[in-house]
Amino acid sequence: MPVSDAELALLAVSHDIVSIGMQADEVRRARHGTRTTFVRVAQIAADPGAPILALPAAGEMCITGTPASRAAAIERVRQVATAAGNIPVSAFSLADLEQLAVAEGIGLRVLLEDLRAAGLELIADAPIDRLRDARRSIEEVNIAGLVLARLTIHQDRSPDPLSVFKAVATLQRAVGVVRAFAPLPRAIDAARPTTGYEDVKRVALARIVADSVPSIQVDWSLYGPKLAQVALTVGADDVDRVSPEDDQTAGPRRAPLEEIRRNIRAAGLEPVERNGRFDIVRPFESPRVMSSAAGGGAAHDERAR
Amino acid sequence: MSIEQIAAKVRSGERVRAEEALDLYRHAPTPVLGRLADSVRARKHPGGIVTYIIDRNVNYTNVCVAKCNFCAFYRPVGSAEGYVLGFEELFRKIDETIAVGGVQLLLQGGHNPDLPLTWYEDLFRAIKGRYPAFKLHALSPPEVIHLSRLSQLPVADIIDRLKAAGLDSIPGGGAEILVDRVRRLLHCYGKATADEWLDVMRQAHRAGLRTTATMMYGTVETDEERLEHLLRLRALQDETGGFTAFITWSYQPSHTELGGVEATGVDYLRTLAIARIVLDNFDNLQASWVTQGGKVGQLSLAYGANDMGSVMIEENVVRAAGAAYCMDEVEIVRNIEDAGFVPMRRNMHYEQLGDPMFRQRDVPRMLELATARAAGEATIPAELRLYPARSRLLKAQRSSLESQDKT
Repeated sequence: MPVSDAELALLAVSHDIVSIGMQADEVRRARHGTRTTFVRVAQIAADPGAPILALPAAGEMCITGTPASRAAAIERVRQVATAAGNIPVSAFSLADLEQLAVAEGIGLRVLLEDLRAAGLELIADAPIDRLRDARRSIEEVNIAGLVLARLTIHQDRSPDPLSVFKAVATLQRAVGVVRAFAPLPRAIDAARPTTGYEDVKRVALARIVADSVPSIQVDWSLYGPKLAQVALTVGADDVDRVSPEDDQTAGPRRAPLEEIRRNIRAAGLEPVERNGRFDIVRPFESPRVMSSAAGGGAAHDERAR
Repeated sequence: MSIEQIAAKVRSGERVRAEEALDLYRHAPTPVLGRLADSVRARKHPGGIVTYIIDRNVNYTNVCVAKCNFCAFYRPVGSAEGYVLGFEELFRKIDETIAVGGVQLLLQGGHNPDLPLTWYEDLFRAIKGRYPAFKLHALSPPEVIHLSRLSQLPVADIIDRLKAAGLDSIPGGGAEILVDRVRRLLHCYGKATADEWLDVMRQAHRAGLRTTATMMYGTVETDEERLEHLLRLRALQDETGGFTAFITWSYQPSHTELGGVEATGVDYLRTLAIARIVLDNFDNLQASWVTQGGKVGQLSLAYGANDMGSVMIEENVVRAAGAAYCMDEVEIVRNIEDAGFVPMRRNMHYEQLGDPMFRQRDVPRMLELATARAAGEATIPAELRLYPARSRLLKAQRSSLESQDKT
């Protein structure tokens, strides 16, 4: 049932995060059930001279950083696409590409088509608070034959996140191609980090308000396992940027793949690995019956739901 | 009985039985557990006050003969990395603590065979002589048992002597899981059995000291054993009423012999919530933001916690095992207020001392905790030579030093 503006305003000022979380969880479960996707992302520097580490476990190879020029962007995409094989390649912030197009004196679509021709599949992220014209730029991405990997927020410190979430909902009604929205800011102020209540409320409100966006995403490497796991219980259904390096030096149970699965299961949810195209690459495996004796968390289930 | 029936029982203030608690812990959805725990908290603390204390967690020695396999902090007797803090160093730490509004030292350490009971008595008297109003929350039950064995005196006598020297209260460390099967597996059965740990607390309460209780979960125990731990604490609290608070945290596996993985954030919130529900005779539950981080630490306030623990100036034990979170007073107060509660400073007895001291950031945000001893500093405190060596290694070291002195 749609939530009225008055109800949303009440939720936004409420301290009852458990109730807000429950409401968001209902929306999430109606759409996804207990299924929780995650993607392993290899991050590669935008500099064409930087090494490209082949990580076959990655579901997405993501070129990060600001390209120095149109030629450098195209060259880097070509290099990474060649190394990636069948792994989808994402690159750059749409806001940076807007600026690059202006600096190069070309249209954004021309730049996007060049990048696609070089092997790019996905624009890595579109920070809604940094885009000059979010609707038009995202439509250009679509027209150029590219896919937007994630809609993000760069640095929203507003105490009332509702306005930006409403803008996301409006944007999605117009473009219809936003597959995942990450409502927690990418840029974290180390001197005044967001609180747990702020983060949980943001995730929950994003799920409730932007109900036409399929997935609400949380960044594993940026927000850490504990907060990311809690976010999955209050509306998020997708975990971004899990490490593709399955480092087992601290033992197999502490390796990233096992850690993400354990965290999702311990939240009473089902882990499903996807790639950057949102294709399932590793179907859900029947959860072992976990007990706290395994050190992996209480073996609660959600039968009482 | 269904989850809803058990929940109704909790909401009406009835005590839950073991099997009901297990059903809730295993099967109740996390938000349901949170709401139940929050309703118990609100009943006990209707004013919405969340407390915290400014104190310093000092580990006077890391030399320990207990050798628990979940501990990354201890060093064996004779280790080059072993240390004992001198009285002057401890006084300096107290001065620093008082300067930022601190009221107490949480003093715990390894089971060092070369520190006799008289060392503790002299230390406590020296501290109380210099800082009469400053509180000593010191020596967890296994340390008291260690002193009892070392000096061949009954636990009650040890407590009486320490109290006479200035001990104000006893921290609940070393409880881990109060089930002997688990304690044997963790190699901590020898330092204190479950009964011995509880008996130290019983004796302390009888002697008029208040204490806290703790639980470290997430190693080898089962859900039933976590609940058995809580039920044993509840039974002793019924008997003595001496516990002021309960604190639980997850095992921190880094650099430990036991290894393994850390329990998840959701598991922490569920465990905290079930503790709030089961421990219906405990007034205060602390949030362990040191192990869970500030964010989940703050979320604990929605899952039954009413206390943010200590404004941490120093912490060494869980830090050695991988936990590295730090919040100063400004940060703790901001987290409490952001969650809709009223922050209030307290002492160890949970008496409210007043509003926050540092509203603005008058002191720089501490990005890194102080540590027990500066790296590379390896001097042996002069006063240690006043006490007889007991370990073979320290006796040999003393003998060598005496030979050097003579030549």
